[in-house]
Amino acid sequence: MATQAEVRAARLAELPFETSVNAGPRNAGNRHVGGFFTSVKEIVSHRELLDLLIRRELKSRYKDSSLGFVWSLIKPLVQLLIYYVFIGQVLGAARGVPDFAIFVFAGLTLWGLYSETIATGTASIVSNGGLIKKVYLPREIFPLAATGSAVFNFLVQMVVLLAAILVLGQFPISLNLLYVPAAVAIVLIWGVAFAVLLSALNVYLRDIQYLVEVVMLLLFWASPIVYSWSFVVTAVKQHTWLLEVYLLNPISLGILAFQRGLWQAGSQTRVIEGNTVQPVDWPVYMDYRLIGAAIVGLIVLFIAQRIFSRLQGNFAQEI
Amino acid sequence: MPAHTDPALLAKAPTVVRANGVSKRFVIRKEKSLKERVVNFGRSQKHKDDFWALRDVSFDIKAGSTIGLVGANGSGKSTLLKVLGGIIQPNDGTVERRGRLAALLELGAGFHPDLTGRENVYLNSSILGLSRKQTDQYFQSIVDFSEIEEFIDTQVKFYSSGMYVRLAFAIAVHVDPDILLVDEVLAVGDEPFQEKCMNKIREFQSEGRTIILVSHSAGQVEDLCDRVVVLSHGNVVYDGETAGGLLALRESFEH
Repeated sequence: MATQAEVRAARLAELPFETSVNAGPRNAGNRHVGGFFTSVKEIVSHRELLDLLIRRELKSRYKDSSLGFVWSLIKPLVQLLIYYVFIGQVLGAARGVPDFAIFVFAGLTLWGLYSETIATGTASIVSNGGLIKKVYLPREIFPLAATGSAVFNFLVQMVVLLAAILVLGQFPISLNLLYVPAAVAIVLIWGVAFAVLLSALNVYLRDIQYLVEVVMLLLFWASPIVYSWSFVVTAVKQHTWLLEVYLLNPISLGILAFQRGLWQAGSQTRVIEGNTVQPVDWPVYMDYRLIGAAIVGLIVLFIAQRIFSRLQGNFAQEI
Repeated sequence: MPAHTDPALLAKAPTVVRANGVSKRFVIRKEKSLKERVVNFGRSQKHKDDFWALRDVSFDIKAGSTIGLVGANGSGKSTLLKVLGGIIQPNDGTVERRGRLAALLELGAGFHPDLTGRENVYLNSSILGLSRKQTDQYFQSIVDFSEIEEFIDTQVKFYSSGMYVRLAFAIAVHVDPDILLVDEVLAVGDEPFQEKCMNKIREFQSEGRTIILVSHSAGQVEDLCDRVVVLSHGNVVYDGETAGGLLALRESFEH
């Protein structure tokens, strides 16, 4: 009978060699298109770890606080309150937007998914430096874990949003609901693409994570979250081409689709304080635009992953 | 008597790791912020230094052998270990390997201080490549090995450093690797636990696992290894028998 050592040796003799790719410019193995699918396969084989990392992120975030997960709800609710009171009532935006609370909260919820994915994703490689320096793992797993925890927070907010819509008796059962998954998909594709790309760049230039904060602050106002699409249409009536520019931002498009799905009042004629508010004039060809944004997003994601895999060779020494 | 592998068996054992002309260069930059980079743009060559941590390192490692990587501080041992483990990529040359590899470069890498011992066992096993089912299976054995059962549901930030490394080591030895990379982490805990670790390593050897270890302890290397690779300034200066290797190591200190 063969000993354990002999059995192992025999098994090892059968295995093919795996070549570790090198970071040099001469390396071709890592460059071709198939590299993307190899990486995807590697991540899929580590899905249990991904799941544990997401749990770790969620568990550790509010560990030792007595309210725990409630905190992840308090922030968006306070945001909602601020925008509802100050922008809606004090500045009067609510006069042109029916069911302003639902409108704002829908936008905030989806925007929260995007900004949290990018912000925590960008920092993810650097903040997991201890692991990256000591163990080999497919490193894309860290921005993906950040995305996972952002998705969890999004789902919690989504429950609140749906509850609010139900309580107000506005549940929009129509084909428009199909816009909701499309909007989430677009935001996720673009969010993950940027998280993957920026997390790698952030290793080499730490300024990126501060820059991201500032840019996200700006981008918040570049999408129709606290003001409605109708305002945009009215504002640029003279130059309709500006609307096209505005819609080039996939997140604006995603948020519009999300609102179209969940904010029923937007598609109806309503009367607020004696003023008749016409239904929102949703952008034309929205379906095609969404499909386009998704396809371009996937291409960007592909390129981002390729850049990531080129840069990751030096992560362990740069962190 | 050291648990060396039978030379006859070793001779026909398959190769598990093959390094061909591996070189690794570190660029030492003296500036990091955007401002500095912009200010020094174009002159940035002056703000870089090249440092070759490894130069043209080649060797084969057969299954079941135990290799000691020794050398003075900064001779490239740990870098070589990281290259073998795929944690950093060489600038030149290739590393080929087969079989399941576990790298013990730092005990408890990936332990999260806020999670409990139990949660960290699952997380760390997963990082080292065990599935959830396997971890369930080994869990009791891991806890028994670490001897910290009563604290397993305590957050690890409250652990003493001894408890921390015990748990980490217990996880590491349950991963069932074909190739184990070890960086100075064998002598952990108190004396009885160290003894336990050493016994586990000998058990690994008798099971035909390949062990590549970095150590500064000549005694440990002599005890465990059947081959020694001596590095000096990134070059292999000796590769062979343990006794000769330790002599070469002493010589390399003089340079």
